[in-house]
Amino acid sequence: MSSSSTAPNLDDEIENLQARVSVLKKQLRIQTSTLIASPSTRQLFTPPPTTSDAANPVRQKLLTHAVSQQAHNQQCLYRTCAGLTTFRVQDPDPNAVDGGAVLGLRIEVFSRTKFLRPYYVLLNRPYGPAPSSSSSSSGSNRRRNHLRLHRHTVPPCIPLAGLAARHLPPPGSDERKQGLPRFARALRREIVRYHHRLGVVADLRKAAGLEGEGERLPGQTLVDITPADAEAKQLSIEWADGRTGRLVMGDDGEILKLVALGDEGRDHEAARELLGGAVRVDEVVKSLLAAAKG
Amino acid sequence: MMARLSIPTTARLPSSLRVDPASPAVSKVLNRLSRASLISVALDWLDEKNASLAAPYLRRHHDEEEEDDEDVEDDGDFYPPARSLAALQEQYIQLQARKGSKREVLDRITEGDWRHGLSLYQLAMADLQYLYDHPTSQQWSAYRILPLKPPSRNADEAEDEPPTVDSQSLVIPRFHPSTFLKTLQAQVLPDVKAHYNFDRHKDLPLLLLRIFITDSPYNTSLGLQNHTTNTTASSSSSSLATFDTSRTFYIAFPDASPHIYISKPQTLGPAQGPGESKSLRNLIVEGIPKALSRPRQRFTLKSTSLSTRNLAEMLDRRGAARINSAGGGWSIYADEKQKESPLDTVLPSPPLSEGGDEAAPPPLAAAQVAKRAVSPATLRDERAAKRARLVARARFGDSARVDDGKGVERVDIVLEDPFPAVDSEDEDEDMLRDEEEGEEEGDERRGRARKGGRRGNADVALEQEEEGAREEEENARSGTWRPNIRLTFHGSHVFAGIRQLVEHGIVDGERMPGWMTGEEGVTIGAVRHGRIRGHKGSGI
Repeated sequence: MSSSSTAPNLDDEIENLQARVSVLKKQLRIQTSTLIASPSTRQLFTPPPTTSDAANPVRQKLLTHAVSQQAHNQQCLYRTCAGLTTFRVQDPDPNAVDGGAVLGLRIEVFSRTKFLRPYYVLLNRPYGPAPSSSSSSSGSNRRRNHLRLHRHTVPPCIPLAGLAARHLPPPGSDERKQGLPRFARALRREIVRYHHRLGVVADLRKAAGLEGEGERLPGQTLVDITPADAEAKQLSIEWADGRTGRLVMGDDGEILKLVALGDEGRDHEAARELLGGAVRVDEVVKSLLAAAKG
Repeated sequence: MMARLSIPTTARLPSSLRVDPASPAVSKVLNRLSRASLISVALDWLDEKNASLAAPYLRRHHDEEEEDDEDVEDDGDFYPPARSLAALQEQYIQLQARKGSKREVLDRITEGDWRHGLSLYQLAMADLQYLYDHPTSQQWSAYRILPLKPPSRNADEAEDEPPTVDSQSLVIPRFHPSTFLKTLQAQVLPDVKAHYNFDRHKDLPLLLLRIFITDSPYNTSLGLQNHTTNTTASSSSSSLATFDTSRTFYIAFPDASPHIYISKPQTLGPAQGPGESKSLRNLIVEGIPKALSRPRQRFTLKSTSLSTRNLAEMLDRRGAARINSAGGGWSIYADEKQKESPLDTVLPSPPLSEGGDEAAPPPLAAAQVAKRAVSPATLRDERAAKRARLVARARFGDSARVDDGKGVERVDIVLEDPFPAVDSEDEDEDMLRDEEEGEEEGDERRGRARKGGRRGNADVALEQEEEGAREEEENARSGTWRPNIRLTFHGSHVFAGIRQLVEHGIVDGERMPGWMTGEEGVTIGAVRHGRIRGHKGSGI
C-alpha cells in the first residue's frame, strides 16, 4: 500500500515544485525588466566605456538587452495611451505582393479593468503601378499606395468589410480617396462600441442578480438576460413569471425598443416597469441596482 | 391518428407524423446506429419532454379499446406493450446494462414499442445521434451571408437587373430560427414537403437544422404511406428515392457568425436519379437566402470555397473566432490565450527559447550536455532541424498541429501560373490584367451560380476556375506556356501534414508558397502568381 500512496505524493510534489519554478522564473523576468529599465541602471551604461570594458561580451549583451527593453517600454507606453498603433510586418509568403510589406494596425480594447488581446488589422498594397495608358508618375504612385485589407482578427460581428469598402476603396473604380485614418477611427469605434455593449449586458445581468450560477433569489423578477444576436444589440429577457421580452439597443447603448410579451400578447406594464423612463441601458442597470438595494 | 383524407397543402410536415416502422427509411436510419446509441436515443424518446412527439405503444386502460387491438394484444405478443412510460424506461435501462445484440433493440423498437410508427421527430433524433456518433459523416460547405443592395425605386429597372451585393453595407445578418423556418417553408414549392428539426449541437456553438424532404404534396401520414407502399410494390429502382437518406441534409448556423454551413447529401450506392434528389435539395438551398431576408433587407449566399467534414475546423475558419481571416502564420495575432497587455513590460522572448510560451524544447538542454560527444555533422543537423522547426512556426504559427482536431481532408488547387522562365515585365502586366478580370469574373460567377445551381458546388467552382484558365490561355501571348496543373492534397489533416514535412526539412519552408500553409482558409482554389486568386486579402 505504501508504494501506491507515495507515488501520487511524489507526483504532487514534483508538480508543486515545477509550478514554483515557473512562478519564480516569471518573477525573475519581471524583476529583470524593471531593473534594466530603471534610470539608475541606465546611468551605469551611459558613461563612456573604458577600452577594457567595451570588449566585455557581458556588457555588450546587457547593452543590447537594455536597448530592446527600452524600445519595448516605449511601444507599451504608446499602446497604453493611444489605443491605436501601427507596426510593420514582413509577409512570410515568398509570393507576397509588394515584397511582403504589410502594415499592421493594432487596436487596443480596454474592458472590465483589463486590456484585452488587441485586434489586429493587416493591410498590404497589392495594386502595382498604373496601367501604361495613364503612366504619369504621380498617378502610378497614388495607385501603388492604395491599401487593401490582407488579414485581420476582427470578429465577424464588426462590419469590417463594409468599412473597408467605404474608406479604402480600390483604385480605379471611382475617384474617392482612401482614408486610412478615417478607416482606423471608424473601425476602432465599432470595436469599442461592441465591447461596451457587451459590458453593459454583463452589468445588466449583474444588476438583475444573474451572475452567480444556480441560486435564485426569491424576489427576483428577471431570470435571464442574454444577447440575442452577434452584435449584442438585441437582448432577450425572461421574467420569472414566464413573460419574455426583447430589448433593442442602438449603437451606443441607447434603448430603441423594448417589447415584453405575456400570455395575453404585449405586456406594456412589464416593459414600463423595467424601463422606468430610462433612455439608455446603463440607466436600467442603475435603477435595477437601486431597486435591489432598496 | 391517421388522417382519412390527404389534401395538398403548403404546410410543412408535422413532427408528430408517424412513419411505418417497416418502411426502408426507418430501418435505414436506425440500422446505422450502434446498440448503445440506439438505446440512448430510445431513452431520449421516452423522456417527458419528448413524450408528445414520440409516444410509444402502451397498453390501454379501457376495455373497448382493447377490443380494437385484440389481434395484436393477445398473449402470444413477443413484445407485450408496457403499462406506462416509466416502466418502459426501466426496460431500456435494463437493456443498457445488459449485453446483447443490436438486432434485439432494433426489433424491440420497430416491432414492439413503436409498432404504430415512428414519428418524423424520432427519425430526426436518431439521425442526429448518428451525426454525433460520426462527426465526420457529413461533408459541409461554408457559405457567407452577404447583404444585397436594396432594389432601386424604378420598378422596371429592378426587374431587369438582379440585385447586387452591397459591399459597403454595415449590416450584420441576424438569424431567428422560427422566423427563418416560416419563411423558408413559404419559399419552398408546394409539391415539396419537408420536415425540419432544430437541434443545438452538443459541444460546438452551432444550431443544426435537419431537413428531410419528400416530394409528396400531402402532409399527412397517408401521403407518406402511399409512397412507401408503392416502393415495395413497384420495382425498387425508382421508388427508393422517395424516402431516402439522400433526401436528408443539414444546415448549421454558427453562433455570431455571418456564415452558414450546408451539408451535402450522400449518394449511397448506385446513383438513382441523382439529379432529382439534388434538385430537391437545391430548391431548399435557394430558399435559404430568401428566408434569411426581411423586407427592405435582402441577403444572398456566396460560396467561400471551403468544404470539409470537420465541423470544428469549419468553426475555426468561418466561425465567430478571431482566426477567421488570420490563418496559418497569421494565427499568432489571433491567439486568444496569449496575453499581450501593454501594461506588461516584460520583454517578449523569442519562440523556441527558454521562457517562451512553448514548453522547454528538449533538444536544447540535451545538446548542451552532450556537446563534447557529438560530431560537427550532428550539430549541423541539429541546427538545421531547429531552424526547420522555427521556419515551420513562422509559416504556420500555432495552426496545423496534428492533434488539434481541425483538419481538412482534401484540398484542390489549380495552378494557373505560366511556366517559370518568364521575364518579370511580362508577369507584371499579367498581374494587372488579372486584377481587372477578377472583378468581372466575380459577377459572372454569381450569374452562373444562379443558373447552374443544380450542380454540386465544388464542381461548379472548379469548372469556373477551369474556364477562367481557358480564357486566360487564349489571351496569353504565344510565348508563355501555362501547363494545366491540378494538385489534390488528401489526408486526415492536410495542412498538419505539410507542416510536418516542413519541420522535417523535406519541404523548404522559406520558399513554400503561402497557400500551402492553409492561411487562405479555402479547400478549392486557383493559384495565380503564387497566390490564391481572389484572395489577395482576406477574401473580402
